[in-house]
Amino acid sequence: MSPFPRKVTLAGANSSVAVEWSDGHRSLYPYGYLREKCPCATCTDAHGTGSRPTARPAAASSSVLPIYEEPLKPVKAEAIGRYALGITWSDGHATGIYSFDYLRELCPCGRCTEGVASSK
Amino acid sequence: MNKRIHPQDVMKALSDVRDPAGRDLVALGCVKGVEVGEGRISIALELPPPITVTTPAGQQLLRAVHDAVEALDGGKVEIHVARPAQAEPAGASGPATAPGTGHGSAPAQAAGSAPKLAPGVKTTIAVASGKGGVGKSTVAANLAVALASAGRSVGLMDTDVYGPSVPMLVGARRDPEVIQGKIEPPIEHGVKIISMGYFLPKDEAVIWRGPMLHKTVQQFLGDVRWGSLDYLVIDLPPGTGDIQLSLCQTASLTGAVIVSTPQDLALTVASKAIAMFQKLNVPILGIVENMSYHVCSQCGHREDIFGHGGARAAAERLGFSFLGEIPLDLRIRTESDRGQPVALDGATPQGKAFRDVATTLEAELAKMQLPEEIVIE
Repeated sequence: MSPFPRKVTLAGANSSVAVEWSDGHRSLYPYGYLREKCPCATCTDAHGTGSRPTARPAAASSSVLPIYEEPLKPVKAEAIGRYALGITWSDGHATGIYSFDYLRELCPCGRCTEGVASSK
Repeated sequence: MNKRIHPQDVMKALSDVRDPAGRDLVALGCVKGVEVGEGRISIALELPPPITVTTPAGQQLLRAVHDAVEALDGGKVEIHVARPAQAEPAGASGPATAPGTGHGSAPAQAAGSAPKLAPGVKTTIAVASGKGGVGKSTVAANLAVALASAGRSVGLMDTDVYGPSVPMLVGARRDPEVIQGKIEPPIEHGVKIISMGYFLPKDEAVIWRGPMLHKTVQQFLGDVRWGSLDYLVIDLPPGTGDIQLSLCQTASLTGAVIVSTPQDLALTVASKAIAMFQKLNVPILGIVENMSYHVCSQCGHREDIFGHGGARAAAERLGFSFLGEIPLDLRIRTESDRGQPVALDGATPQGKAFRDVATTLEAELAKMQLPEEIVIE
């Protein structure tokens, strides 16, 4: 059976989501990267209505004090069925369903990305 | 006109209601609360063990309570049945424990497999098929009845919103009631049942798009008072569509049972349903060959109308368990038409066929390694 997450830590090191996999592998996903890779139909423009940028809008320049914007972070995660993780972000976005396979594909660690590079 | 009623009057009326052992409900401490409002009387009850809502005795008791309070003429009667404290079944020590296969022992609690929306449900079994017309609903209904006949607490959820046939198959006599904002499922043949068929006028069609179907699945899981169940059998629509996906997302299904006729074609199409479940990490519990052979009701001659054994062969080839054969038998259909699932009578060959499938299914479940719950922090 393909590897699945045993443990997901939202407040991981270096503003990353830490995942411990069933096959022993460990992944660290920086928040911005993971949010950028949201597979939902809106983010990937699967609707054909124009994808929404994941970056936050620039603060209004006319006000005297810049509006404090909390840095992006995941506020909640839950298992979706037995095959995926759903993440709710601090910017309100909550429609991303990251299948375990997809999540594993996204692992940015040296070993995983090396594997990708060498298969080219 | 509604009289102004005192809670004392309600308590007095309730103390006249006896449980099957002749004991007075109030003296037993079963009445947890009484609230009298404008044209409304609400009662919170705990049923005296071993009576539960799922048994005919329980239903009878609730009726008696309802009638006793209604007679006070104080308005609408609402009964809220509180779930009594759960005792752990003997021997259930964790997900890897194999339960005894003796009679009456309930399966061990599967950690992490209870659907979040219906936490009292221990095991969820989806009954699926590739194409329609293979008898999936008949198998689902009879499987549920067979499990209930073996002493398990069972629910049956009919999610085929386009062709909800379950109420007819079980001879639905009662309608669901809404009590305290939750849907109370009617109980037929010992099984709690919910189906779109209950909520639609007979000749009305459901012409819905995805989001409505998703919402229906969520409501059937979360807004129905299933209570504590050993099994929730879920009758899916044929194929691989919105409802199947919604279910796989909304519930952590323990597993799926695939129904197929012996013909290769039925199984080729069924393989699509199998592929879907595998992609969504739902274990295939096994394959049932329905309409496996025909037995003539007049002379008993056996004929393999749709071939025979194709599903068993495919199960072996694909590495799935084979759960059993159900014959194509006039009696199954006539009893379905009467609303009396044949599984009720284990002495008949038809009833026995379904009960054997239920037994084999429980054995499969016992062997399964139950899923780990992901720790999220």
